[in-house]
Amino acid sequence: MKIDRRSFLSLGMGVAAGTALSPLPWKLIDDISIWTQMWPWTPVPEIGEVNYVNSTCTLCPGGCGITVRKIGDRAVKVEGKEGHPINSGGVCLLGLSGLQNLYGYDRRIKTPLKRIGNRGQGSFQKITWDEAISEVVNKLSEVRSTGQAHAVSCISGSDQGTVAQLLKRFLTAYGSPNFFTMPSMQDSYELALYLTQGIQASVAFDVENSDFVLSFGSGIVEGWGSPVRMFQASSRWREGKGKVVQIEPRLSITAAKSDKWIPIKPGTEAALALGLASVIIKESLYDKEFVENYAFGFENWKDDAGKTQIGFKQFVLEGYGPDKVAKITGIDKSTIISLARSFVRASKPLAIGGRNQGRSTSGRLNEFMAIYALNALVGNINKTGGVWSIPKPGYIKWPKVEMDDVAEKGIKEPRIDAAGSASYPYSQYLLNRVPGILNSGQENPIQVLFVAGANPIYALPNTKAVKEAFDKIPYIVGFSSYLDETAKYADIILPNHVYLERYEDIPTPVGFQKPFIGLAKPVIAPQFETKNLGDTIFLLAKGLGGTIEKAFPWDDYETCLKETLSEKWDSLEENGYWIDSSLKPADWKNAFKTASKKFEFIAAGKAKDIASLFGFSSSTLEGDEASYPLVLIPYDSMRLANGFIGDPPFVMKAVEDTVLKGKDVLIEINPETAKQLGMSEGGFAKLATPVGTAKVRVHLYDGIMPGIIALPRGLGHTAYDKFLGGKGVNFNELIGSVEDPVSGLDATWGIRAKLTKA
Amino acid sequence: MDSALIPVMDDALKPKGVQRCPIWQFALWICIFGAILLWGVYAMFLCWFKGLNQTNMNDAYGFALWIWADLAVIALGGGAFFTGFLRYIIGKDELKNIINYAVLIGFICYSSALLILAIDVGQPLRAWFIFWHANVHSMLTEVAFCLSCYFGVLTIEYIPLVLENRQIDKVPFFHNLAHNMHEIMAIFAATGAFLSFFHQGSLGGVAGVLFGRPFGYREGVLIWPWTFFLFTWSAAACGPCFTIMITKLTEVITGKKLVKQNVIDLLAKISGWMLASYIIAKILDTVYWATVTVPDMGYTLKHFYSNPVYGIWILFLEIVLGGILPAIILITKTGRNNNVTLWIAVVLAVIGVSVNRWVMVLQVMAVPILPFESWYLYLPSWQETATTILPVAYGILLVMLSYRYLPIFPQERELNPID
Amino acid sequence: MKEEHKHIKAKKYGMVIDLDKCTGCGACMVACMAENNVPFKEDETDKLLSITWLRIYKLTNGKPFPETDICYLPRPCMHCEGQHGHAPCVSVCPATVTDYDMETGIVSQIYTRCFGCRYCMAACPYHARYFNWWDPVWPEGMEKYLNPNVSPRMRGVVEKCSFCFPRYQVAKDKAMAEGRREVEEHEYQTACTQACPAGAITFGDLNNPKHAVYKLKMSPNAFRLLERLGTNPKVYYISSREWVRRSGDNYLANEVKIKKL
Ligand SMILES: Nc1nc2c(c(=O)[nH]1)N[C@H]1C(S)=C(S)[C@@H](COP(=O)(O)OP(=O)(O)OC[C@H]3O[C@@H](n4cnc5c(=O)[nH]c(N)nc54)[C@H](O)[C@@H]3O)O[C@H]1N2
Ligand SMILES: Nc1nc2c(c(=O)[nH]1)N[C@H]1C(S)=C(S)[C@@H](COP(=O)(O)OP(=O)(O)OC[C@H]3O[C@@H](n4cnc5c(=O)[nH]c(N)nc54)[C@H](O)[C@@H]3O)O[C@H]1N2
Ligand code: SF4
Ligand code: SF4
Ligand code: SF4
Ligand code: SF4
Ligand code: SF4
Ligand SMILES: [Mo]
Repeated sequence: MKIDRRSFLSLGMGVAAGTALSPLPWKLIDDISIWTQMWPWTPVPEIGEVNYVNSTCTLCPGGCGITVRKIGDRAVKVEGKEGHPINSGGVCLLGLSGLQNLYGYDRRIKTPLKRIGNRGQGSFQKITWDEAISEVVNKLSEVRSTGQAHAVSCISGSDQGTVAQLLKRFLTAYGSPNFFTMPSMQDSYELALYLTQGIQASVAFDVENSDFVLSFGSGIVEGWGSPVRMFQASSRWREGKGKVVQIEPRLSITAAKSDKWIPIKPGTEAALALGLASVIIKESLYDKEFVENYAFGFENWKDDAGKTQIGFKQFVLEGYGPDKVAKITGIDKSTIISLARSFVRASKPLAIGGRNQGRSTSGRLNEFMAIYALNALVGNINKTGGVWSIPKPGYIKWPKVEMDDVAEKGIKEPRIDAAGSASYPYSQYLLNRVPGILNSGQENPIQVLFVAGANPIYALPNTKAVKEAFDKIPYIVGFSSYLDETAKYADIILPNHVYLERYEDIPTPVGFQKPFIGLAKPVIAPQFETKNLGDTIFLLAKGLGGTIEKAFPWDDYETCLKETLSEKWDSLEENGYWIDSSLKPADWKNAFKTASKKFEFIAAGKAKDIASLFGFSSSTLEGDEASYPLVLIPYDSMRLANGFIGDPPFVMKAVEDTVLKGKDVLIEINPETAKQLGMSEGGFAKLATPVGTAKVRVHLYDGIMPGIIALPRGLGHTAYDKFLGGKGVNFNELIGSVEDPVSGLDATWGIRAKLTKA
Repeated sequence: MDSALIPVMDDALKPKGVQRCPIWQFALWICIFGAILLWGVYAMFLCWFKGLNQTNMNDAYGFALWIWADLAVIALGGGAFFTGFLRYIIGKDELKNIINYAVLIGFICYSSALLILAIDVGQPLRAWFIFWHANVHSMLTEVAFCLSCYFGVLTIEYIPLVLENRQIDKVPFFHNLAHNMHEIMAIFAATGAFLSFFHQGSLGGVAGVLFGRPFGYREGVLIWPWTFFLFTWSAAACGPCFTIMITKLTEVITGKKLVKQNVIDLLAKISGWMLASYIIAKILDTVYWATVTVPDMGYTLKHFYSNPVYGIWILFLEIVLGGILPAIILITKTGRNNNVTLWIAVVLAVIGVSVNRWVMVLQVMAVPILPFESWYLYLPSWQETATTILPVAYGILLVMLSYRYLPIFPQERELNPID
Repeated sequence: MKEEHKHIKAKKYGMVIDLDKCTGCGACMVACMAENNVPFKEDETDKLLSITWLRIYKLTNGKPFPETDICYLPRPCMHCEGQHGHAPCVSVCPATVTDYDMETGIVSQIYTRCFGCRYCMAACPYHARYFNWWDPVWPEGMEKYLNPNVSPRMRGVVEKCSFCFPRYQVAKDKAMAEGRREVEEHEYQTACTQACPAGAITFGDLNNPKHAVYKLKMSPNAFRLLERLGTNPKVYYISSREWVRRSGDNYLANEVKIKKL
């Protein structure tokens, strides 16, 4: 064959044209590229009709109104409810991630489970509801028949709302006084309210109207109180409507948002509050109308025996002058004086306490008392912009429980924790005392334990001791929706619906000024074989029969809820909440139910003397300084849930890389302290406290006081799913339980610690 | 197949009148580089099937080791277009004695570059969208078009070489095809030179247009930043140095003189003057950038070299050692004619242009831009390293095969007569 | 000026983020993930491999205790206008995947067209673009919450904040259906704006004097990130603190006052 130039060129063009014209290569390329755009393993969300269901978020005690976007029968997004009294449209990241709790099948408990492996190992066997109920009923009957009714005990997240009250009612009808809630600052606040004002009520803060907030370590924008509401208040202050002074050893976000951050030696907040009081009194800057007419125990007074007792004035002037307080707190005398003056000069000053989120611990009573005293000195009790006491919404008006002999006998047994006894007369629940009692005793005061809406194995201080105590309890019944640490420790689990699958009433969020009830509504049908805890209680009662069964005359929980809420139900169904907007706090003439009918600085007849209420004692920290030269404190973050809910994946994703790196938590340390220890950013270290040790990494942070180190709460889970479990360290493993000397409540905060290079 | 057949076939394929190493030795080296190639191919498949998570790239380091290799290899492959330009357009006839090798090296470089790109993109099967949905504003569009066209040209330039294999040439069709292709090679060389001027430039433009990346950003004329011209210029200057370097390396390995000194000298001299003029332009560019462009954006020169890894030494290495020094050597006759200094010059020039490509893609990523960021550093994963070495092994194999079986060096027989 | 405002045709959607109010809580970040089907994986602590269309940076004033100060700065895509819509990322994309929409000022991204060359990421000085290094995987159950208005992306493509463009489409469709030509300010709000518990984010048409952003962006405390590069971003920040405002751009030692561009 001979090829000349012409045939060569035409051949070339022919080949090119032939290829181009043949559809095959083009079709193939196109098909392949389309395939890459629709990989069969990339999900295509189903479309459907859009509608919104209003409900209430229960992931923290914030009580935010939410609206859930649904597409067909899928819930696709949680949003804040516009115009809601608590959060007016705002929502936090935990609330936004709610659907990951609902649809997070890996963390959910799908059917009743019975333990087959060792405690805590997490090996369970699926059982039916009938089997589960009859097993628990048999166990309860057995315990009851041996005269041990009072040894059945319950830890509930709260004692508020119908579900918690049904649990409590169940114990009452069964014959046990041993109902417990998890600790929170509300315990101390409510106790301080009772001691100073003689009332059982909720504390409320009129933050929207305050123009000067003096915060003793409260994480105003870190989850304290009702988080979204506090954020919105904070934004008002940032618009120039108020000033915030933050007192704490670490530059928290709240401190950074505040107008002034005053670092303080950890644990000396009460002394500072008393110091400020002494300046206010010495300079005669206090609200004379209130103090002279509506307060008792400011001046020295004579008790019933005619003995002169020291009043608040003499107590602080003598013991807490600014020089002395400067030494205790490490804050300049001049700062103390000018802070006291700024506080009283403001038109609506407000002092608040409860460190960080105010949830993990009850705190020290003297601190709350001192903070209350500051508020009293400026007369902002029950005033616009001040601290209020409001009645708890008393809608639960069930008939009194009819008790059989066993119940009558059991309920009269002393409480395990001695709450309400002569030793701790004013405290309702002292769960913090229980692990110690169980671990030191021979007998088992608890035969059966119910756990609902709480994760004590994770969330109580000194995890090891808590586990040890739980090991002594022969039978643990969990009601959790999630396979959390405590559920993993249970012998049997009767899983509750997730909040988006159930009805529930959510009464007044922490610190809110109006009586309020939010309604959680089923947004979608239950995903699994779970039951509303209310219904589970009814089934158990029915199984036990007799007076116990009679105590629960409702067909089901929904009926019970509707009946209980009676005339409020319509408003709840329609708006998702009920509010008593008309409530105004009682005026000074009527507010106080103490013997003196006044605000009492000295809790006459209740406290031994004034020093026992307010007295500051230094060093309440466990551990000796020589072996443990540093002080470890916890900090809370919106990005780390630390209660009975653990971070869902989206929230974990938001955790900063200066907090968690891979599976290692970073401990905050001042660069100066780190230098002394020869540590640098990201380096590994061994953290030791008198209670435990942990491997951590170091994060240098200028915002923390030298000599102090800080760990976040909310990590170190050993349960849930791979997105949360096995990451970081649980702060509670490193800290011992500290009991408040007056109230007996949990006052755990910091601990002495040592950090060595690893 | 009977193993005894192999030496026979090998003999039949080798060009006449030249000496080649024994087949076992050849086979051994093929195996060694073949193994490296396979390692790279394995890594390549990992990247394709498991995705780019196999690399240590991240959201700050979207361009990494192999993109540098890509740019470097294209710059070094510049010997092909520039030698072609000199031979066919300027008419430097002596260069016909090195053009084949320049074309081969260019072919290797460009096919490697395309392969790397095919591994680098997250969706290789959609890579043709660059043509289908072409964005005329994008330097990368320009790069893609010119690069693929020029690869076509190089293939066309390389094919006649293959056809000249002793056995293939026996087939009249291929013989005639080769002949005809040679006849029109000037057209392709001209097209190739034109395309190359542009895509080398647009590669320079890739970093130069990034006005969000002050370290790479350059002002310029019309739509072209100065780096557009600097890249073309430096490729034209250093590409031939690479051709010389590889030629000399081949000579060392084969133990034979393959190209006459006058040819090398001519290419070296032209490179030298190109490099000298380039480095003056580069210095002017750097000074203008450092004293006008960057301060306007709020940065100082020091900012860009304030990292222990990315220190000012890089600038010294690139400009002084990799630019000024080889330029001086190559423009002086004594420098060119001394084997040692010539070696030093071409190696330094190759390093210089490679460092330039490194800083223009990788240091650009490493420098903090927002005041609250810090430096981003990155170390390649083994998969990246293997896929980057893959083209090197492939190049060596192709050179070995081409040298053994194709008449690459027209002067070989004359310089190495066999009796 | 007056004339110009009367005949506004094109919108210029933008954001003003008040850093005095922002608490760094991360709600905006999560709202975005929930709205836009952003995937997650077991370990998200390497922030260079973590897709967060809106990332929150923690800024510090660099001073030692107790003069230390910190500020959080949420960073969505800035939807840079550049010069006449030549955003840094837009002009570089070879396949016209990302585009500056002249009608809204939104910088779009077509995931199914992106072939993953990552040139746009190199071009973006804000690191607002994220590459899907892995196949997105939703653990069993979680695919149920996926929003059908936003298509899940596949491995090998780049994604970024869209100013919740699908929400604009929904709002526009609704307006059209009701015979209106204009989308009201409240009808089109981004997921992050809507969620922010501190009310720190304001979103709207920067060209429309009736929208809140219009006035806010004129605040003497307003600034944009890296204005000096000429990216012309549409996200403004407000801070009463000088050091924060100064952290928004780079300055030479002799530039004492922040230059307003
Ligand atoms: N707003 C808000 N929402 C919450 C919480 C919250 O604290 N506040 N907590 C969250 C948590 S953690 C949980 S566990 C759930 C459950 O929270 P709930 O257990 O539902 O708690 P509350 O809503 O505080 O309480 C409801 C009401 O019960 C009434 N009550 C209190 N004691 C008694 C009593 O002895 N007898 C009778 N008859 N009534 C009594 C009070 O009026 C109180 O207001 O809600 C969740 N949601
Ligand atoms: N006196 C009195 N004591 C009480 C109560 C009471 O009403 N009165 N209430 C009881 C109740 S209901 C409970 S459950 C316990 C509380 O006790 P815990 O069992 O400790 O539970 P919570 O802290 O409510 O759990 C909710 C979790 O959500 C997380 N969370 C809250 N806000 C945010 C946020 O903004 N961001 C992130 N990331 N996470 C957040 C927190 O980390 C918190 O751990 O207190 C109990 N104690
Ligand atoms: S603050 Fe609490 S109640 Fe409100 S959305 Fe967040 S988790 Fe839910
Ligand atoms: S949600 Fe609001 S306050 Fe929270 S980080 Fe985002 S912008 Fe800041
Ligand atoms: S911020 Fe980055 S991704 Fe967004 S428009 Fe600007 S350059 Fe593009
Ligand atoms: S990665 Fe995608 S969007 Fe970015 S430049 Fe490449 S093709 Fe365009
Ligand atoms: S505007 Fe929409 S897409 Fe952008 S960061 Fe906010 S929520 Fe995400
Ligand atoms: Mo609770």
